[in-house]
Formats: sequence, structure tokens, C-alpha cells
Amino acid sequence: MSAGVPREVILVGRDAPVWLAACVLQQALANAGVKITVIELPSRLHAVDVYATLPALEPLHTRLRIEESKLIGVTRGAFTLGKRFVDTSGTAPAFFHAYGSHGARIDHKEFLSHWLRARKLGLQGALEDFCLTAAAAKHGRMLVPDPEIEAHGFTDYAYHLPAIAYSALLKFLAVKRGVVVHQAREASAELDAQGAIAGVVLDGGRRVAGDFFLDVTGEESQLLSALAVKRESWRSHFVADRVLVAGGAPIQPVPVYSEVRAWADGWVALYPTQVGTHICEAYSSELLSDESALHAAARLARMALHGGVIRTCEPGRRAVTWERNCVAIGQAACVFDPVHSVDLQAVQVGLVHLLHLFPVQADYEVERAEYNQSIRSAFERIRDFQSAHYFLNRFGGSQFWTRAREHLLAPELRHKIDTFQACGEVAYYEDETFMIDDWQALLIGHGVWPASYDPAVDRTAPEVMERELGRLLSFIRAKAEEQPSHNDYLQTVCAPPQRA
Amino acid sequence: MFKVVIVGGGSAGWMCAAGLVGVLPRSQYHVTLIESDEIGTVGVGEATLPSLKDFNDLLGIDESQFMRETRATFKLGIEFREWDLPGDRYVHPFGSFGQLWGGIEFQHHWTRARQRGLNPARFEAYSCAIRACERNAFEFPDSQFTRSTHYAYAYHFDASLYADYLRRWAIGRGVQRVEGQVTGVALHPESGNVATLTLKSGARIEGDLFIDCSGFRSLLLGQTLGSEWQDWSHWLPCDRALAVPSERTGELTPYTRSTAQKGGWIWRIPLQHRTGNGYVFSSRFLSEEDARETLLGQLDGKALAEPKLLRFRAGRRVHAWKRNCVGIGLASGFLEPLESTSIFLIQRAIQDLLRLMPVRAVGEPADPRLSNEFNRRSDALYERIRDFLILHYVANRRSGQPLWDHVRAQELPASLQHKMRLFEARGHVPYYKDGFFSRDSWLAVLFGQGLRPAAYDRLADAVPLAQLDGKMRELLDRVHGHVEQMRPHSEVIEHYCSEEPAVRQVASL
Repeated sequence: MSAGVPREVILVGRDAPVWLAACVLQQALANAGVKITVIELPSRLHAVDVYATLPALEPLHTRLRIEESKLIGVTRGAFTLGKRFVDTSGTAPAFFHAYGSHGARIDHKEFLSHWLRARKLGLQGALEDFCLTAAAAKHGRMLVPDPEIEAHGFTDYAYHLPAIAYSALLKFLAVKRGVVVHQAREASAELDAQGAIAGVVLDGGRRVAGDFFLDVTGEESQLLSALAVKRESWRSHFVADRVLVAGGAPIQPVPVYSEVRAWADGWVALYPTQVGTHICEAYSSELLSDESALHAAARLARMALHGGVIRTCEPGRRAVTWERNCVAIGQAACVFDPVHSVDLQAVQVGLVHLLHLFPVQADYEVERAEYNQSIRSAFERIRDFQSAHYFLNRFGGSQFWTRAREHLLAPELRHKIDTFQACGEVAYYEDETFMIDDWQALLIGHGVWPASYDPAVDRTAPEVMERELGRLLSFIRAKAEEQPSHNDYLQTVCAPPQRA
Repeated sequence: MFKVVIVGGGSAGWMCAAGLVGVLPRSQYHVTLIESDEIGTVGVGEATLPSLKDFNDLLGIDESQFMRETRATFKLGIEFREWDLPGDRYVHPFGSFGQLWGGIEFQHHWTRARQRGLNPARFEAYSCAIRACERNAFEFPDSQFTRSTHYAYAYHFDASLYADYLRRWAIGRGVQRVEGQVTGVALHPESGNVATLTLKSGARIEGDLFIDCSGFRSLLLGQTLGSEWQDWSHWLPCDRALAVPSERTGELTPYTRSTAQKGGWIWRIPLQHRTGNGYVFSSRFLSEEDARETLLGQLDGKALAEPKLLRFRAGRRVHAWKRNCVGIGLASGFLEPLESTSIFLIQRAIQDLLRLMPVRAVGEPADPRLSNEFNRRSDALYERIRDFLILHYVANRRSGQPLWDHVRAQELPASLQHKMRLFEARGHVPYYKDGFFSRDSWLAVLFGQGLRPAAYDRLADAVPLAQLDGKMRELLDRVHGHVEQMRPHSEVIEHYCSEEPAVRQVASL
């Protein structure tokens, strides 16, 4: 390990993850005299790739002083208020996972309990009917919080960002803010006598030395592999081993949510942006040929597709994500299943944890231990959210979905489903990325119906509850209608720059 | 009707009865509480944590009436005396230290200021609550507070008066009180659930869910159902307490005092009508006679009774909810009252139970899905409090005193060791989703016990050093200015909740 406090940080990787990492570290640590260098490896992005993000990215962008209007204008991306899950076999009802709260407290007690009680008393309304965010999405409206909405509950949004443009924007910012960049076709780690990384050799020749390294090389985890860190497979939790991406024509007006369509052999997601519809399909190579997958994608998306690319997907993580003087970020740390589009979120989780534990002395063993432990549990809870989506599916008796139902459940997820089934309470762990409302939407959406609800809500008079539920629905209807259409919002607030 | 039977009528029993009857629909739940006038209650927990106000608010209890009836005073923190070296003192306040700058916690800015030669005031100076404690001042927190002046308050009260108060409150709302001693417990032959309790009088009481508030005896959970005991006395060796009330003297402090002693520590809790005192000690290291002598010798007012001895052991039942029986209070575990967590643990257990309450129509009071979640929450809480308590002991420099040498030399729980190392390396403190103990609490005790970070978070370097000095000064002025406006604690008590006979008549339930 190098002698002093790390000052020369070398990031090795490609595409948005490495540039996001560079921007974050540069902004946080430049004042502390830390120099950030990126070894940029050849991009693996294709024109049809998209970063479908989760809501936490917006505050990170704010910290990085990335203006939203510029972000959307330059990338020609779009906003998203959530995901709609559809079963094309017609077996299970569709449901919405919106990035906002459901209902509001009634009589000081939680909404979900009131809703469960109301359903028992004959109410027809779905949980998502009480979600303003979902309502706005279905009406094609962007939801812009005002004081009334904030008093009602929380609402959030994320983006669909064409990947090449977003990556280029981040790179532009990183360079502008002083990050040093070297390009290389290949980079390999060079170890010192103690077995830590001393430097990176580019294309078999030039050597870049540093004292702290970020491995953002993708699923091969080139640097961690050089440090002999083993991989742990999550294959027993997930069926899909292929991901196909392709492009379709834009949908007009541009939907402000994504749609995930399940069919017999997997699922197809549609992520709309201003430049087109980005298709992502997950399937198992054992059950479906690549060619059939491409046909299925077009059929399910109901549009002609172009530029299809197929990648393998082997979910799993590295046994440790911080080894010696190297931290893996993104897929180099953990490869997730594509459902719920968590990739960039995982990058962000890795970076935010690292910032608060970035070495302050030559010895950072305790930081390393803390980081590995908290990242492990953060990734596992994200995995649980994805895993629940497969395990709980009611998408018919095909092999793909049957296998998914038979898959392994982590004890924490087993417990979470059990507790919810018993009484509607979400067993919430430390280090969760998804919030209680997310879990409620997912579990209720998949038909996990609590056997009981908080009995305290029975103290609320039925008339009061009915009146309040009615009031919520009218509020949601009125507020959703008040909002600007997504298209108007894109055109007025996020107009593209004058010179394209 | 779903029948809940509570065994035991101390603070735990009556808080539980009040919580259940105050929240659950009375058309579905019937609550019975069995207590015996022949069995005394422990009633040690005279000092509380700020969340007790949430519990009282949940029940709709009027604060000034409650304080008047329980002879309560306000509490802004705990003063620890001589826990490191003779003559030293620090306060664990119910409030923040400093404020965030650039999203970075205050201890990093403070450490940086110190290391870069800015000569900041001592860390504790940047806390409103500590400043108020030093001046025996109190004021209700401003709802418009900013982080730099944020604090909360708890109460000191007479725990048996609180139990009395809740008894009347709960009985008035339908809780059935049964006087008697439980002499027999019958289990259901197949399920092994508790089915019927037999009282000394021969009366039989059936129930669906039983709540064991029988104190250390743990009559149902421990004795009958055999929920395993996890012993923590190797980490927390104190196993006795001598408690004695004394006449109130001097200024009414808005804080509890805990003074380290040869064989443990002595508490001092100021109430309106008396002062509560007690010596928590380890019988391995101190005799009862020595403890008694030391306790009485240091009282600042005349003793009002003979010291009463309590015996206990640090630890907890591994399953606080087993089959159809939930242990609440001492029946499920004990941690010494160093951080006033006894009543807090009762409160949390009641709140968790309410979130996971079995429902008559659907199931089974012994549903393991409910008890597993209850126990998971309880485990996490107990372990965190345990670590926090041990921290007070380990970082002492009272060498040559056997108890203190012992605790200093002991092997720590790995979880605590890790937390201490992180703090010493870089000022990092734990953060929990449910906020307990808070970062500020950890900071108070870590700094208070003399630990100092070797380095600070490098993100703090984003604040230009030239600005930092001014920011720190301005912060200190703000804290001082805020406390200047507070009234003397005794004056607030007098106006808000002191006993006036005429009012007391009206306030009966």
C-alpha cells in the first residue's frame, strides 16, 4: 500500500459510470488536493442504449451543478414518473410503480391500512389510483411539486437518457472541471511488492501511476480481478441471461413513464425519449434463441426495431468491492438483472458511500471494512427488490416465469414478503435503496395481499374514511389535470440548445 | 373479541394497557391487566428520553397535567461526571452539535479548525442544549428551529405516579384491572400457547395474547415458555442498584446527573418534590454496605427513606415475543439506566406491537411472521443500546480501580469496536434509519469520553479556511444568544406544571 494519504486517484473505465464517478470525486475532493485522472477505455455504448435512471440521480445532478433543462435539452432524453408493469398473457392485472407516495395519512394513520380496510368494505379503487404521481403519468403530465402537492405527500421523477449523449455530457463536464483523461484500448493493473496496485499500463506501453484506483471497467472488473477478488454468482436468483437492446421510433406524445411487458419467455421494456423508443428485453438463452428474441421484442413493442444488440447478463457481485487501494464501481462491483433499471443507481450508491469513507490517512483498513459491509447490504437489498419481482410473478405457466417463481429467496426477502402478507407492514432494513412506498407498490402490484391491516384504523368512522378517500381522489384528479403535458414541459422548459 | 391479558402493573404494564386501549378499536380488543398490591414495582426509570412525548401525544395526554401529576421536571440531557478522570464532566444533550456546512457534519469542520490552528471553542460549546444545562435554563423548542439551535426535551418524573396516572387513564377507557397474583399458567396442549392463568384467588383468566410485564421474574416469557436468556453481564457488570429519595435542594437542574464511582455510578434525578438518587454497582467489585455508605454520604439533601436494593443482570430474552406471549419491559431484558432507556424500550415495544398486532378475524396470535418482525426490531434496538452503554465504560482512565480496570480491558463487541475505530480514524459516527441513538448522541459520548478523531472528512476542505473561522464564531454567538433568551428551569416548572391544590382537584381523571 502506498505510503501516504491518497492524492492521485486513477479511474479506469468507460461510459457514463466512469464520468459520473470522475465528476463526483472531482467536485468533492479537488479542494482537498486530490487529483483525478481517468483512463478512458473504448465505449461499449450503441446508439440504441439508454440510461433509465431512478429518482436519486436528480439531487446528485444538483450537487454537480448539472442543470436539468440542459441535461434534457442536450441529451434529448425524457422524464419518467415510474414504471408500468403489464402482463401480456392477461393473467395478472397491470400495475404502476410510481416514484411517489400513495394517498395520505387519514386520521393520523397510514394510508395503506385505510386502503386495505376500504377494499375489504367493497372499494374498487386500486392502490395506484391514490397515487398522484401515477395519475399524472397516466395522463401524460409532468408532475411539478407545488406547496399543496408537498403537503399531500412526496413525488419524485427520474429520466430516460440516451446513453451516448449523457455519457458525452458527463465527460465534457469532467474535463472542463479539471479531470485529466488518457485514452487507451486496454489497461492492465501493475501491482507493487505488497500486492496493491501501483499503476496502470496503457496498451502495453505507457504507465500511469497513482495511489488509489477506481475500477469502473464493467463486469470484467479488470482491476479487482488483478487483485484476485472472486466473483459471487446470483444466478440462483435470476433466470434471464441475455439482454437485447434495440431502437424504435419515438412515441408521440412522449410518455412520461416506461412500460415493462411480460410475455411467456421474458419481458420487454419500452423507455421513451425524444429521439426514439429504447427497447430492452430480458430472456434466457436456454429458452429462447436470439433471433426469436428480436422478433418477440418487435412484436411486444408493437413497432419496427433497428440496431439490435445482444449482451450476456450474469448477475452477481465481487466478494468485496474495496480491496487494498482499489474500489470497484458499477458493474465492476456488481452486475444486476435489468429489471427496475438499477444500474446507474448502483453506481451512485457506490460513489456516495465512498465519499464519506474516502481515505484520510495512509491506513484505511477500517474504512474499507465499513464500505464493504454497507455496500454488500445495500446491493443485497436492491437485489431483493428485483428478486421479488420475479419470485412473486403471476405471469402464467411458461417455463421462464415458472422457473422465476421457483427461484431462491434471500432470508431478508422471505421475511419481508411474509411480514407483509401477515399484516401489511414492510420489514425495512438499514441500507435500503427502495423506500417503503416502492415496496408497497411492488408487493401489492404482484398480488401479495395482507391478511390483516393495522386494526387501529377501524377506529376511524367509515364515513370519515370514505369522505377522505373521495377527497384524495378529487385532489389527485384536479392536480394531475393542472399539470403541464410532458411534451409541453419538454419543449418549453428543456428546449434543445439553439445550435445542435 | 380479541382478549389481551397483561401480567404486571408497573410502568411497563400500565404504559402497555394505555397504549393498547388508546389506539386499538374497543369493539375488537378487550384488555385485562392483572396486578397485585402485594408485589412491589421496580420504578427505577425516573428519567426518560424525548420520544416519551410522542407516546403521550399518541394517547392525547395533556403535558402540563401529566407533569403536574407525576411531579415532573424537564430534561435536556445527562451530565456525566468523572467517567474518564476525576474532576471531568460532559453532557450528553438531546440536541445537535453545530450545523452542516456543504453537507458535511460539524465534527469534521471542528476537527479541521482545531488541526489547522483556528483554536475553536471546545466541541460541547456548540450545543444549545448543553449550554442550557450549564445555565439551568429551559425553554420549549421553537418549531422554527434551525439545526444549529435544535434540541428536544424529555422528563424526569416519579415513575410510580406515572403508572398511577396511566392506570386511571386506562381504566377510564375500558381496561379491566384484576387484583391478584398469578399462581398457575396453563398451556394449550397442542400449540403450547399460553391458554389460561390461574390467580391465587382461584380465578381463571383466559386470553388470546399475553403480555408479560412481570418484571425480572419474566413469569410467562422466561419461566413458562423458556425464552432463552442472553447474558451481557461480562460487558456490563453492574448487577445491583440502591435507590433512595432525598429532599430537594439547590437549583432545579434540567438534566440527570451520573457520577462514576469506585463500584459503578450514582444517579441524581431532580423532581419537583424530591430528588431521586441511586447507586448502580457491581457486586463483584463493591459490597452493598460500601455502596450504601457512599450513596448516603454524597446526598445533597436529607434522605427520605431507607435505600432500597434492586438486583438485576444485563441481558435480554432472545425471543421477546414467543408463541402468543410478548415480553415488555424487564420481563424481556434489562440494560442499566445509564442512558434512561428503560421506559424508552417499553415504549418502542408497545409501538412495534401495535404495528404488528394480531387480528381476531384472521389468524393466530402466535403467528411467527408477526413475532419474527417484532423480534428483529427488538434485537437491533437492544444491541445498539448495549454498544452505546459499553462505550461509556471502556474509554475510562480510572486506573487502579478494579471495576474500571476490568471494563477497560474487556474484549468489546465487534460492532462497537468497529464504530470506535471509525470515529478515531476520521470522526465517522453511526447513522441509523430510525434515528436511535442519533449521530449527535454518539458524538456527545465519544467526545465526552475523550476520544478524538485523528483526521476529518476531506470533503470539509471545500469550505475555505478563512471563512471557517468566522462561521464558527458566528455559530457560537448564535448558540449563546439562543440560550440567553431561555428562562430558569425552575421558573418554567412553576408556571407550567407545579402543584396547585385547586388545579389538582379539577385535573382528576
